[in-house]
This record gives sequence, structure tokens and C-alpha cells, in this order.
Amino acid sequence: MAFTVSPPPHIKEGVSVKKLMWSRFIVLLPLCLASIYLFGFPALGNLVAGVLGAVFIELAIQKAFKQKVTIGDGNAVYLGLLIALMVPPAVPFWLPFIGAVFGVGVVKHAFGGLGSYMFNPALATWVFLKLSWPFLMVPLSVPQLGSLSDLILETGAGFLADASPIAMIGVLYLIARRYIEWRIPLMYLLTTVVLVVVLGDPLSYIFTGSFLLGVFFIATETSTSPITRNGRLIYGVACGVLTVVYGYFTGNYIEGTFYGLLLANAISPLIERSTVPKPFGGVEA
Amino acid sequence: MSDVIRLDKLPEKAIIPMRQHDGIACAPLVKKGEEVLVGQKLGECEGSDLAYVHSPFCGTVESIGLMPNPSGKRILSVVLTPSECTQSVEFVPEKNAPPSRLIQMIKEAGIVEYYEKPTYLALKPGKRIDTLLMNATFPLITHAYLNSLDKVLKGFSLMLEASGISRGVIVVRADDKESIKAFKGAVVDGKPLTIAPIIGKRHADYYLEDIDDRIIVVAAGKITYTPTMMNLLSADVMGRKISLGHEPSDVHVVVCGVKSSKAVYDAIYEGKPYLENAVTVTGAVNKPGSVIVRFGTPIKDVIDACGGYRGEPGKLIINGSMGGVAVYTDEAPVVKNTTGIVIQTKEEVLRDESIACVHCGRCVDVCPVNLLPTRIASYSNLGKYEECEQLYAMNCIECGACAVVCPSKRHLVQLIKYSKLQIHNLSAAEAMEEATK
Repeated sequence: MAFTVSPPPHIKEGVSVKKLMWSRFIVLLPLCLASIYLFGFPALGNLVAGVLGAVFIELAIQKAFKQKVTIGDGNAVYLGLLIALMVPPAVPFWLPFIGAVFGVGVVKHAFGGLGSYMFNPALATWVFLKLSWPFLMVPLSVPQLGSLSDLILETGAGFLADASPIAMIGVLYLIARRYIEWRIPLMYLLTTVVLVVVLGDPLSYIFTGSFLLGVFFIATETSTSPITRNGRLIYGVACGVLTVVYGYFTGNYIEGTFYGLLLANAISPLIERSTVPKPFGGVEA
Repeated sequence: MSDVIRLDKLPEKAIIPMRQHDGIACAPLVKKGEEVLVGQKLGECEGSDLAYVHSPFCGTVESIGLMPNPSGKRILSVVLTPSECTQSVEFVPEKNAPPSRLIQMIKEAGIVEYYEKPTYLALKPGKRIDTLLMNATFPLITHAYLNSLDKVLKGFSLMLEASGISRGVIVVRADDKESIKAFKGAVVDGKPLTIAPIIGKRHADYYLEDIDDRIIVVAAGKITYTPTMMNLLSADVMGRKISLGHEPSDVHVVVCGVKSSKAVYDAIYEGKPYLENAVTVTGAVNKPGSVIVRFGTPIKDVIDACGGYRGEPGKLIINGSMGGVAVYTDEAPVVKNTTGIVIQTKEEVLRDESIACVHCGRCVDVCPVNLLPTRIASYSNLGKYEECEQLYAMNCIECGACAVVCPSKRHLVQLIKYSKLQIHNLSAAEAMEEATK
């Protein structure tokens, strides 16, 4: 009789990278639908262009370097969608496509692929697009702030992600399932709210879709946040502080979110290194 | 407790390894063709970490050679063809023996703890010890011995006597109602046992101060403390955490098992050496349960006693699905440190492929001893063992929780274990260098 020989543990939880990525993708779909409803055909085109760009470049790189093709794990598709959600609806279709090619090709694969990149590809792409095509990357109108109904369906424009912040509600399920980290969003939100109130800016800034996308999807990107428990709390605070610093002095909390998060990505290894937990029982009795 | 079967059917061939714990191997005392009796010593060894091997069967020595073993390796074993005779060597019970004689008898009987240490060594670590813990947190194993609970408790008292330790604490799982009920009805030293829960900072010490009983039972939590989880056991039950690089005996605690307590009773009150054990069989068999098995019985006989395989077996796991060894053959025998057998069907066998770490931190969240499993594993993979040491790799209790939750399906436990081995080798090499200077 043949028995399989393999190392323990012999039972594992049914969670995989594939599941983590596709679940994030699915949770973002209602937001995409809302943006298509609000902005019409251009939004759909942007989203498809972003996803196609990401898949195209991942396939090209992995074929060219004779690596195993990992499009099935959903990481590229998810990044492409995220990149498309961070552009204004009125841009030409090639913009999110180029963005996704840059994000997945340069920021993800040139830095070592899945799990190795030091900046969130979507975030770095946004900065890249913003610097390269500054006129295209300005929304026709900023989201109107002030009324709570904007949470459900934004009346102003902004980026695609600003369409309907409430459509991201599915993220709470992912947090409950521990597919998404809870410490970072919690500390990020708390810090931002406290600082905004202290500095006297209108609180409605934090109801924008871009900010919530940053809190729940970009800040919690696993490769670019610390792995230590305390490190994640501190990282959340750092994200909040950096966002508010930028937002307070420029008056633009949406761009502040993205620039702040990029800086937070940069200090994440430092936070991790300085928060290595003490061993159970101490080092010496 | 009634579902414990005793495996009386003689196996076709009994394989008795000369090394049944993690210590020195014995040299065989018998030759091919020799007749052996029940309880006859088959293996003799010299050194400090030894456990003599006795024959659980009466029969003829068929061969001596390398045979399959539940550890996955091939180990020098005596192969017996058991016969129907029940003749045994003379068992000399000895009551009212002084402590030094008790230790001697425990050593002679070849009793081994569940964490692979010979009992006579475990009981006398040469340090100040104030508490002997009995780890009864394996519900199925404990249930298998509930029928002979008085013997287990007597054995436990004997261990206290032999080691000169003043207090004994029996640890059971808080959700193991059956065992708790049985312990409630048990009597030690003419008094019923006290059952105490561990709540917050009220550890076993708190109850031992109030009661003048020698032995109490505590309901610790909902954890089964596996052999490597000494640090957690000591912390949860006694409130004493073990610092890096130390043993339970450094915090004045010694741990023993249910099986060894019963074996100590047999050794002293009946004069019998360590010949049989309860083994739990779970998973894809027709009648899962506990079986009392004589050492040397092939695993397939144990499975037959449990009604045979259910469906097509895919994996045979010895000692638990979290940290156990998957063996390649069911010809391997049950040995002293075999506790449980888990059978998985072909469909249940995991076929994951490990990919790169995504730094999700799930392993960090579940680690019971505050480690960064993914970082240690990555350094270990790169051969940077000094970095592993700086991340306290030696503190790892090898529970496997990190590998269970890993979405990238990395072999975290194996990498960390490997780094521990390398760190150990490095420090041994350093010590050698110091000595030769």
C-alpha cells in the first residue's frame, strides 16, 4: 500500500494567496459597478484597460524570463483593478493601461515579484501617472464634501474610487475573516479623525472613496506593511500622521492619502525592525 | 472509556526496535533463533540517556537487522515470531521500597516519558524541583486510562515518592468533561481529589497553598500540550514562563505523562517492565478509538483492530496531524513513544505548493510564543542561522500553528527546526573550540 510521506502539519487552513487576492478583487467589484453607473462607459473602459495592462505585462515578463505564469493567483488582476480605480474617469484608455504596465512590470516584477516589492505597485503607479501626465490626472471636479449622502453615491467626480465609498462595505467581511489586517485600518482611521478634528479641518474629508480605498486596501497591502503586531499599530498611526500632514498643508486630503501612504511604505521596514517582539518568557531569567 | 480495546491477537511478526526514544540505542542481548519470554530484556545499553528494551511477547528471534520504524527511519530491531505461550520471566513486585530503589526500578523497567526522555532522568534533573505536573491534556489517551485511574494515581504518587517532589498537579483540559468527572470520583491518600480551574492569575500554586493535599487536579484551558509545548504548559499551569534556552526544571517543574504513571505502577506493584501502551487511532478507519497495544506490534494490526481502513488510505501519520511523522509503511511497529495514529484518505492528503511569502503576518498573529516565524524561516532558507538566533528561533515550540495558517503554504516549521539544529551545531562547535584552546 502506498502512503504519502510529507512534512507536518498534515492539516492546514484553507487559505491561500489566491484566495486572499481574488477575495479582495471581488470586494472591489461593487465599487466598480457604482463607478460605471456614475461615470458611464469611460469608467468601464478604464477598468478593463487597467486589468488588461496588468495581465499583459505579467504574462510577458513571466514568459520572457521563463518563470512560472502566476496570473491565476489574482495578484496582477487585483493590482490592475486598483490602479484603474485611482485614475479620474475622463482619462484616455491608454493611461490606466500604461499605468498597470508600469505598476506590475516595474514596481512589482523588477523588485522581485509577489511579496518582494517595497512600494505598493498601485500607489507607486499613481505617483508615476501623476508626475508624468499631471493635467490628465486632475479630476474634472473634486468630490463635493459635506453631506453624508455622499457616502452612498458621490455627487461630484473625483477618481473612479470616489464613486461610492459605501460600496466597499464588503471589506468588513474580509477583516472579520482575517483576510485583511484589522490593526492598520483601525489605527489609520483613528489617527486621521483625531488629527483632523484637532487641526480643525472638516471631517467629511475622510468619507471620500479614495481615502477609504487607501485605508482598507492600500495601507493593508501585506508586502509593504510591517509584520510585527506592534509594528502594524505604529504603521497605522504613521499612515494617519503623514496623510494629515500632507492634507492639512495642501488642503487636498485625497492626494494627501496617496502621498502619505507612499512615505509610510518607505518607513515600514524601519518600523518592523524596531518592533521585534520579546520572546515568550524573556531572554534571561 | 469503555471503548478501549486490548489488542490480544498475536502479530505475525513483531518488530522491536533497539531504540524507542530519543536517546541512546541499545545493543541486542539475544541471537537469531533464541527463544525469548515475556518481559525478557532484549537490549542493554550504557550511558546516561538510556531506556532498556524488553520483549512484550514470548517467541523466537527470527532476525536482527534494520527495520521500518515509526520515526520514518530504519532502525536496528529484533524481529520476533510470537508464539502462543504466555510464559514470562518472574515479575518481582516490590512494595515499600525506598526512593533510590524506586528510581532504580523505574530505570530497569525502561519507562519513557511522552516527550522522549527516560522517566528516571526526568524525575531527577539535579535541580530544586517543587512540583511534578502530569500532562493529561490528550483527551483520548486520558480516556483510555480512566478504567485504571486508581493505578495511574498510585503510579503518580510513586513518582512523587521516588523523586522526592512534594506536590503533584494533574493537568486536564477544561473541556474534557469525561476525564474531569472521573478524577472527581477518584481518591488519593484516602481523600477525594480537588479539581480546580485556572482562572486569570490563579495558578496551581494558589490552590496548593490552600489545600494540604499532595495531589490536585487543575483544568487548564482548551489546549493539548504537545511534547514541545513545555514552556506554555509551565506558564499556563504554574504561571512560570521559561526564559530562552532553559528547561522546565529551571523553573522548578518536572512533567510526566499519564502513560508513564501507569507504567510506573506496573513496574513497582507488579514488577512488570514497560511493555504496552494505549494508542489512539483516528481518521479514516471504521472504528476509531483507543487500543492497548504491546510494543512491536505492526501498525496494520492496530488498524485491523479498529475495523480496518475506511476508503483508500493516503497518509499514515504517527503522533498527531500537527507535528507527527507521515510514515511510508504500515509495517512499522508501535513503539514506546507512539501516542496516536491518524489516517487520512487519499482525498484528504494536502498537495500544496509553497510560493513566496506575502508578509501577511498571519503566522505572527498565531504564534503562541511571540516569534516572527516567516522571518526566521526566510533567514534559515538563506543559511543565515545567526540572524535566526537573534530572532529567538530557539524559543520555537514547533506547534505548527504558523504553517497551518500560511496562505503561501511555506514549510515554516521545518525551516525553523533546521535553523535550530544549525544554531545548536554552531554553539557546539564554538564550545569545542573553546575547549581545545
